Amino acid sequence: MGIQITGLRKSFAGKQVLAGVDLTVAPGEFVAVLGANGSGKSTVLRCAVGLQRPDSGTVDIDGGAAMVFQQIHLVGRRSALDNVCSGALGRLKLRQSLVFSRDIRREAMDCLDRVGLADRAGDRAGRLSGGQQQRVAIARALCQRAKVILADEPVSALDPSAAEQVVSLLASLAEEGLAVLAVLHQPELAQRFAHRIVGLNQGKVAFETTAAAMDTQAVNSLYEGAR
Amino acid sequence: MNPPTRKAPSPVAFIVIAVLVGVHVLAWQGTGFSPGALVEGWRGMADFLDQAFPPDLGVLGDSLDAAVITLYIGLLGTTFSIPFALLLGVLASRVTTPNSWTYQIARSILSVLRSVPDVVFALIFVTAVGLGPFAGVLALVFHNTGVMGKLWAEAMEETDPGPREALRVAGASGAQTAVNAVLPAVLPQMVGLLLYRFDVNVRSSLVLGLVGAGGIGFLINQSIKLFRFDQMVTHIIVVVIVVVLVDQFSAYVRRKLAT
Ligand SMILES: Nc1ncnc2c1ncn2[C@@H]1O[C@H](COP(=O)(O)OP(=O)(O)O)[C@@H](O)[C@H]1O
Ligand SMILES: [Mg+2]
Repeated sequence: MGIQITGLRKSFAGKQVLAGVDLTVAPGEFVAVLGANGSGKSTVLRCAVGLQRPDSGTVDIDGGAAMVFQQIHLVGRRSALDNVCSGALGRLKLRQSLVFSRDIRREAMDCLDRVGLADRAGDRAGRLSGGQQQRVAIARALCQRAKVILADEPVSALDPSAAEQVVSLLASLAEEGLAVLAVLHQPELAQRFAHRIVGLNQGKVAFETTAAAMDTQAVNSLYEGAR
Repeated sequence: MNPPTRKAPSPVAFIVIAVLVGVHVLAWQGTGFSPGALVEGWRGMADFLDQAFPPDLGVLGDSLDAAVITLYIGLLGTTFSIPFALLLGVLASRVTTPNSWTYQIARSILSVLRSVPDVVFALIFVTAVGLGPFAGVLALVFHNTGVMGKLWAEAMEETDPGPREALRVAGASGAQTAVNAVLPAVLPQMVGLLLYRFDVNVRSSLVLGLVGAGGIGFLINQSIKLFRFDQMVTHIIVVVIVVVLVDQFSAYVRRKLAT
């Protein structure tokens, strides 16, 4: 089932930010969300993982959701491996989370391997490049064993080649069967890697299309509407 | 262009100034502040200096031994307070506390420990465990827990909320987040504050010695009671050297940590 969002509404201090958003991502599918700043993209994702409580609407998630952030949010002083291990905290007891067990470390190594960074496991996260850090954050999401990955502008702070590498990694995780929902700011990347594209405008889904049928006009109007 | 005209001082400003002047007059009287007494007493000062110099270096050995005890008091007073300051600091920091009850209680304990001066703790513990360095260590552990716990809690609150949020999404509890996101990030600041407190505690342990809690402060007290000001000066010279060395050491390590 992946993730199914229906009728999501949210206001902040009387100002409506989400005006009934419907969105589904099936397992194996990569959906990109486009939209101007302030159109409510982050709020959708934050409501979906429970960082914010929607006023109304439902979110159904199959197998747990992990979140990847634009600001990456690793602990820079810890090793890449420890950061990945911390994705498993939700299924560990407190005494198991002081020092990670061999099993968890092995699983985290596999996750790092899936993002192509097994050789950097012992490096401090803060020492890695932005693109590498974002891949470590994705490995942390994998170590959470979530079936759904929500990524809020995961590549907005990265240079073009690192951005492409990260988006292509997200696409390959969808190939492996995860449901991936990513906010992107580059329509070209969305069109190249995503299966479907959702345009969000003022808290509403303005259009929803397959990547192949993406209408540049419609995409441009998302950003013009905000000006 | 003309600058804006200055506003005339408000009557409130006059009242505030009048009150401040009044309080200073009362304080002057209340403390028996008297420059005249200082001038008239110069003879006493001269006598004192005459007896104090040259310093009696015969007590240098005792003095150094006691200085080491003073350092030990400062050291144990700092390190033994680590577990308590850590526990209370985590509970008293808004970003790691499990609930608002615990937060309020932990904060209250810290503020009580902080507001009772270490000298008062020392006087209490001297009556409990007798004169000597052990009372000094206990006094520092109590007071330093209050100060360091508060400083650590504040340092934790200043950490980046991003990693905490990421772990919360991953299903981590508050305590797990504290251990895996907050403490690793804040460790260098905590070590810096620990060294700063060691520095302060070594200086405090001198004062604790004056009230009977061992170390070189105790020797200074003894030499004053015996009117051996020449010995006292030797102790004070040793004190100054110890304080400067500890200060330099702690500043050096903190500089290293910052880079
Ligand atoms: N916690 C909040 N409190 C108040 N307003 C918020 C909060 N979060 C978001 N908003 C407002 O909601 C609107 C949509 O924000 P957001 O979902 O972050 O948009 P996007 O991610 O598309 O740029 C913005 O106008 C923003 O100012
Ligand atoms: Mg956003």
